Amino acid sequence: MQRRQWLALGAVSAAVLAAGGGALAFLRPGLEGERLSSAGREVFRGVGKAMLAGNWPVQPDLVRAAMEDWLNRVDVLVAGLPVHAQAELSQLLALLASGAGRVMLAGLLEPWETAPAAAIQQALQSMRVSSWSLRQQAYQALHDISGGAYFSAAQTWSLLGYPGPRALR
Amino acid sequence: MRRRRSFATSIVGSGAGGGITAELLARAGLHVVIVEEGPLRSSADFDQRESTAYPFLYQESAARKTEDKAINILQGRCVGGSTTVNWTSSFRTPSSTLRYWRDRFGLADFTDDALAPFFMQAEKRLNIAPWLTAPNENNDLLRRGAAVLGVPAAAIARNVKGCWNLGSCGMGCPTNAKQSMLITTIPAALDRGATLLVETRAQRLEFANGNVRALVCGPVRPNGADASGPTTTIVARHYVLAGGAINTPALLLRSNVPDPHGRLGTRTFLHPVVMSAGVMAQKVEGWQGAPQSIYTDHFLETQAIDGPIGFKLEAPPLHPVIFSSSVVGFGEQQAELLRSFPSTHVLLALLRDGFHAQAPGGVVKLRSDGSPVLDYPLTGFVMDGARRAMLTMAEIQFAAGARQVLPVHELARPYDSWAQAREAIDSLPMKPLLTKVVSAHVMGGCGMAADSAQGVTRPDGGHWQLANVSIHDGSLFPTSIGANPQLSIYGIVNRLAQGLAKRLGAADVILA
Repeated sequence: MQRRQWLALGAVSAAVLAAGGGALAFLRPGLEGERLSSAGREVFRGVGKAMLAGNWPVQPDLVRAAMEDWLNRVDVLVAGLPVHAQAELSQLLALLASGAGRVMLAGLLEPWETAPAAAIQQALQSMRVSSWSLRQQAYQALHDISGGAYFSAAQTWSLLGYPGPRALR
Repeated sequence: MRRRRSFATSIVGSGAGGGITAELLARAGLHVVIVEEGPLRSSADFDQRESTAYPFLYQESAARKTEDKAINILQGRCVGGSTTVNWTSSFRTPSSTLRYWRDRFGLADFTDDALAPFFMQAEKRLNIAPWLTAPNENNDLLRRGAAVLGVPAAAIARNVKGCWNLGSCGMGCPTNAKQSMLITTIPAALDRGATLLVETRAQRLEFANGNVRALVCGPVRPNGADASGPTTTIVARHYVLAGGAINTPALLLRSNVPDPHGRLGTRTFLHPVVMSAGVMAQKVEGWQGAPQSIYTDHFLETQAIDGPIGFKLEAPPLHPVIFSSSVVGFGEQQAELLRSFPSTHVLLALLRDGFHAQAPGGVVKLRSDGSPVLDYPLTGFVMDGARRAMLTMAEIQFAAGARQVLPVHELARPYDSWAQAREAIDSLPMKPLLTKVVSAHVMGGCGMAADSAQGVTRPDGGHWQLANVSIHDGSLFPTSIGANPQLSIYGIVNRLAQGLAKRLGAADVILA
């Protein structure tokens, strides 16, 4: 990880320690074995609810299945990232998964699992236009991974009106 | 246990520069090894899906970024390099660029006339010709909108043969129509006895007394991480570095080669790109049809090359992942825009960096694990060009009949008229991370110059401090090109490699 990025995230980590108490080791990593950890999934479920609102199926039981499919595609996307990007993402998700980090970095008071989509959207918007570049960078990473994993699957293409590649045979 | 192999010439990289060099040197009778970091994938593997292409064919899953994460870089990483995944646009190096190189970098024999035969050979070898099929709607909108404003536009030449007009070039050509290095120079070199090592990264050069003694290489995993397994040490008379900008400077940095004037990795350019999305009344379907078939250089030619930054306009192909990433915003508002995909027209502006003190490009650095990162600060000078480009693109899109135009900026929203868009764009804070900036052209970092104080590489491609090293890729350019760079690499490396073959005492060869 770039030293400046470590220092930046380190400053947040230090603040998280001060706010939440305890060692950095107690932060649950966001990735485990190049896939989302349970903490990482918790964050992404919340992010996905808000970031991709308007694209999920309407029926609640279909939403759950679609979300699990999407999280599995996020795993595939993450596995293809280079080591330095995986390390950064893991620490970012670890911070976002922690209470203090979620408040400080995302501006979200409620836990990811229970916060209503509107509250998460407010948090994402504040990251998107923040004067603190680390929050903007975090927003862009969440935006691109969410959308990239979502729309890479053929079953989502009808939302875009995209017919898929032309068959060659 | 290390493996050790000897060759006449070792070439790092199988992209535009590596491919041309490999074919010429192999045909000249030299025993060549090509070391490629990426995998060998070919048309049987190209399924026209971004989820396949991005992780397998691109650097860092098509998400390589500058240090501040403000620019997303598309660069190839596979046999054929960026030529396997590019959009086929072929332009000779503009005269104004060459003139600047002669004037500022002492590159006296970089004239249109001197380079013409080498460009012609490359055009013949790679079937580069003006694209005569009618442009798709995404491209024709650029032509029509520009025409309304009195701005001339023209057809782009492409390196294709028997093109099916699919539009999937960026995911690897599934019909072998695109004349990339993958299906032209690399097979030609292999036919003449060259050896190709894939999924093998050149880790470092070992040198003494101004000469490289060996190249140490190691296996890599699909995501580019170092794999466990023995290293391979290659010993050669001559080493050609063609890993591309960012990668070639990184190899030299990892090797701690002499850099007495601190030039290595500096002046790395990106043609930073900004975009504008227009929603039309009619179907555009920007995913199909030859991508990038129309361009205009009007906003490069109507001002001094060292004045306010100029830009070239083109229309990129659009596919789901790249489209959803380019449409800024999220949630229901973004979803509504995404539904307009079939009628969305996107323009891009390539900013011509490197010709002004306030557009000095970026610097390649190494992370602690040896991987490269480009530190490219987006200056106010460059971002002023971004604003002017966004204004121009919006004006062209409304002239072409757009109902709405969304400048690709986090604080923009779709505007319903040119007057509204102009007022809004004039007051957008043109800052990094708010303005979406991407790059598909990485250039410089081992710039050529007639004087060792001004560059890393001599005008003949030889490294200034290492006698048996040449650099034959886009990192050679002292400035950005001001045009899509593949043909500049083909033509210039063609000349350099023919000269190298002579210096190595091999047979005379020409490319075509």
